[in-house]
Amino acid sequence: MMNYVEHFPALATMVLFLGAFLVTIFGGKNKTLRIFLAMAAATASFVMVLCVAKYVIIDGNIITYWLGNWTPVKDYAIGIGLEVDSLNAFFALLVTLTTYLSGWYSIKYMSRDEGGDYYYTLYLMLSGSVLGLVLTGDIFNMFVMIEIMTFACVALTAFRNWSKGALEAGFKYLVIGSLGSTCTLTGIALLYAQCHTLNMAQLSAMIAKVGITGNSTMILAFALLITGFGIKSYAVPFHFVAADAYMAAPASVSMLFSGMVNKAGVYGLIRVCYIILQTMGLGKVQTLLVAVGTVSMFVGVTMALNQHDFKRLLAFHSISQIGYVLTAIGLGTALGVAGGLYHAMNHTLFKGLLFLCAGAVYYATGRTNLNNMGGLAKKMPQTCIIFLIAAFSISGLPPFNGFVSKWMIYQAIYAKSAQSFGYLFVTVVALITSTLTLASFIKVTQSAFFGQSRPEFDDVKEVPGSMLLPMWVMAILCVFTGVAPKFVTEKLITPAVNAVMSVNKYIDTMMGAGYTEKITGSAATEISAEQITIGNWTPVMWLVLFGIVLVAFTVVAVFGKSSRGYTNNSKEQPDNKHATFFGGEMATRSTVVGSDLFWGFRHNFKGYFEKLEGIHSGVVNDYAVWAIGALAVFVMYLNAVL
Amino acid sequence: MFNPMWLFYILVFPGALFCFVAGTLLNGLDRKVYAKMQQRIGPPILQPFYDFMKLMGKETIIPYEANKTVFLGAPVVGFVALVTIMLLLPQFGFTAFGELNADMIVIIYLLTIPAASIIIGGAASGSPYAGVGISREMVSVISFELPLVMVLLAIGKKAGGDGVTFSMKAIADYQAANGAMICQWSMIPAALAMLLVVPCEVGCHPFDVAEAETEICEGPLVEYSGAPLGVFKLNYYVKQLVVSALFAALFLGGKGTGIVAADAAIFYGECLLVTFFSMTLIRATCARLKVEQVFKFYWTVVAGLALVSLVLAWFGL
Repeated sequence: MMNYVEHFPALATMVLFLGAFLVTIFGGKNKTLRIFLAMAAATASFVMVLCVAKYVIIDGNIITYWLGNWTPVKDYAIGIGLEVDSLNAFFALLVTLTTYLSGWYSIKYMSRDEGGDYYYTLYLMLSGSVLGLVLTGDIFNMFVMIEIMTFACVALTAFRNWSKGALEAGFKYLVIGSLGSTCTLTGIALLYAQCHTLNMAQLSAMIAKVGITGNSTMILAFALLITGFGIKSYAVPFHFVAADAYMAAPASVSMLFSGMVNKAGVYGLIRVCYIILQTMGLGKVQTLLVAVGTVSMFVGVTMALNQHDFKRLLAFHSISQIGYVLTAIGLGTALGVAGGLYHAMNHTLFKGLLFLCAGAVYYATGRTNLNNMGGLAKKMPQTCIIFLIAAFSISGLPPFNGFVSKWMIYQAIYAKSAQSFGYLFVTVVALITSTLTLASFIKVTQSAFFGQSRPEFDDVKEVPGSMLLPMWVMAILCVFTGVAPKFVTEKLITPAVNAVMSVNKYIDTMMGAGYTEKITGSAATEISAEQITIGNWTPVMWLVLFGIVLVAFTVVAVFGKSSRGYTNNSKEQPDNKHATFFGGEMATRSTVVGSDLFWGFRHNFKGYFEKLEGIHSGVVNDYAVWAIGALAVFVMYLNAVL
Repeated sequence: MFNPMWLFYILVFPGALFCFVAGTLLNGLDRKVYAKMQQRIGPPILQPFYDFMKLMGKETIIPYEANKTVFLGAPVVGFVALVTIMLLLPQFGFTAFGELNADMIVIIYLLTIPAASIIIGGAASGSPYAGVGISREMVSVISFELPLVMVLLAIGKKAGGDGVTFSMKAIADYQAANGAMICQWSMIPAALAMLLVVPCEVGCHPFDVAEAETEICEGPLVEYSGAPLGVFKLNYYVKQLVVSALFAALFLGGKGTGIVAADAAIFYGECLLVTFFSMTLIRATCARLKVEQVFKFYWTVVAGLALVSLVLAWFGL
């Protein structure tokens, strides 16, 4: 008797697609109806994935589900199978959570745009495709989902087609995205030609039998798949389109891009490297992934320091944070994978939150250029606090969540450095990247929220509650995952890491017990990841101390003399002692804008920055050349070393 | 689960009260010696304490442009972070929260928080002087971060033997077994680098580009007054203590005497020595650098020194 939960992976995906079609049919005229339909689909899918997550991650089951009940015949998988282990469930959770919160945010945020029915259709198509991608057990099905995802992304990028650069960004995304899909498809075709199956579990067993070393067809397929998923995860050198796309898309969609679309790329890389081709035991493959990750980290963050558009800056930080994830996953150790997955989750939370903040600022002021902002903290106090939480999280300040995952990643990299000096270098780069991240968010804080307020912002108001609610939810999750790292690791991360590390179990559950032994000749062994120590950071102690000092300080602040001057509403003249002076005259504006900060740093790296800006030429031909060049390098490197 | 000693650790020794007393005393001594080097009489040793008490009684003016919560909260967060570092540093055999086995990553990040609190507080005040100040503060954080990280990794490699370690306890144990880290010749460049990191971390002359009273009127602190300013001043004193203590814990460890009080006294003496060599001496002899010079100096000379040790440690020397 099948547990009813086992139907949910398929249903959760279908309900999103169904929602997309219903919105197209019925939602054209009636605004309330289409929002209701979209939110119903997103909620249903979120609830179902929650059930699946409990069934899979907490109770330790693995769901195998053959669509149309096409079970394997004579050990050959002919139908499409879904296999949901803890890794799939983990990513599915991220996808549906992002979808759900973004849906809430969209209601108000998108209310001023025309074409809401198109928006919700595409939004549900995108969510459904990414969810399908992370839940499927069939590699061709995965490709189909990638195609839907890419085209939904292109359309959503160009959604505000009246705004400058949106169509251009959509076109760039189309070119590079198609290139990625082509690579993936070619890789899959090569695998199919070799193994005559598309089921991932069966592929994995068969590839383990022949082995990848020295088999140049397999190596070519592997390189193509890495490139394909690398493009989807926007790692350097495939990152160029990401900046344009994130900037042009509405903030609720940018959140989807960084929260789940590039996670889909990361998921694909994990599946390909750890499960299907089982190459992560090979040191040379580790070197490749770590190199890509390290370059992504550094290039992403230094480009971010140079930006003056709020969302473009966040886009480059996405690249940098994905660099952390790829580096951690590329280490091939249990601690590394744990750090990588934890960071992937945190990135979904804090980066989604940052995009929502950027969206809130845009909604309130109509601007995203940091050089034209200032003093919003007084007008939008809640957004400001939320933004600070997210900014501290991404900079890895304790006790927020970025700190925990970065810490695990540093430990994992540093442990590797006992083997090779290169990893020591990677550790240093990772730590410096974190400081530079802080620097660039200080710039945003100073130029958008603090600093001198602008007269044209006098009428700016805080964004409505339905936008603040999802932001607060994510902010609370950021703090929670930072304060209770042990809980999160035990309940969520460790099962997923175990799933990544036990390939044979994955194969046997899908294809029937004993299948691995029959094909590869070695019995399935239950590998449990070594105890993942995350150090002994107990933020609770810190909070106790913080509470005590805060109480003491409040006493002083309340009973001590303090004066605030006039309030916003009062018409009285302010007392001069409460004014901020600059050069003799009160209310003289300073000309120090966001781009002028960190001059001391940029001055010393002038040559580097000039070169980097030259590479980001904005010409899509160059970007395609980079992608194809990287593919060529991967193929040559892997052929040379494997 | 809850240990009543924790409250003693957090509040009295080596927590808040100790940090307050020892920090103000350290700063008083520093100023006295500094004055003597310039052939002045100098302020009384308790002067920082008087300054702090005076500021606590003054009126707090919150500028019209400022964001109140952040403006008032920033100095407190910085203070808490500093005290937390003190709780995690091993003093010979004794660590307040030794069973937590804190590691260097925690310390690096906690050290960023006081700087971040100055930056956020300054930004919240809305003054353009503060705007310039915070950008300089951030650049100086980036400057010393690279050598600091390399020094810590070198020590971690050295103390880890065949492997590597991030654990402060492992570093303390290594020094208890093999003598102070500074006695290892391969670690001497790292110790020199760390001696130069200390003043920049604290933000004292000649690396006080962020506060530069003569150019930008104390930068981030320009709009602060009363109690929050007092707490920021206190943060400065405590930072002197904590960063010197970090140096002492990393390089001047050892077996100790086994008696906590005696160990603590010796440890405090070491902090005084470090303060004298890394802050007072340099402060009395050098003129302030420009911000881009600070950056260049740390990423070339100081990072170079640290790199020498890192390479030597990696080859097992």
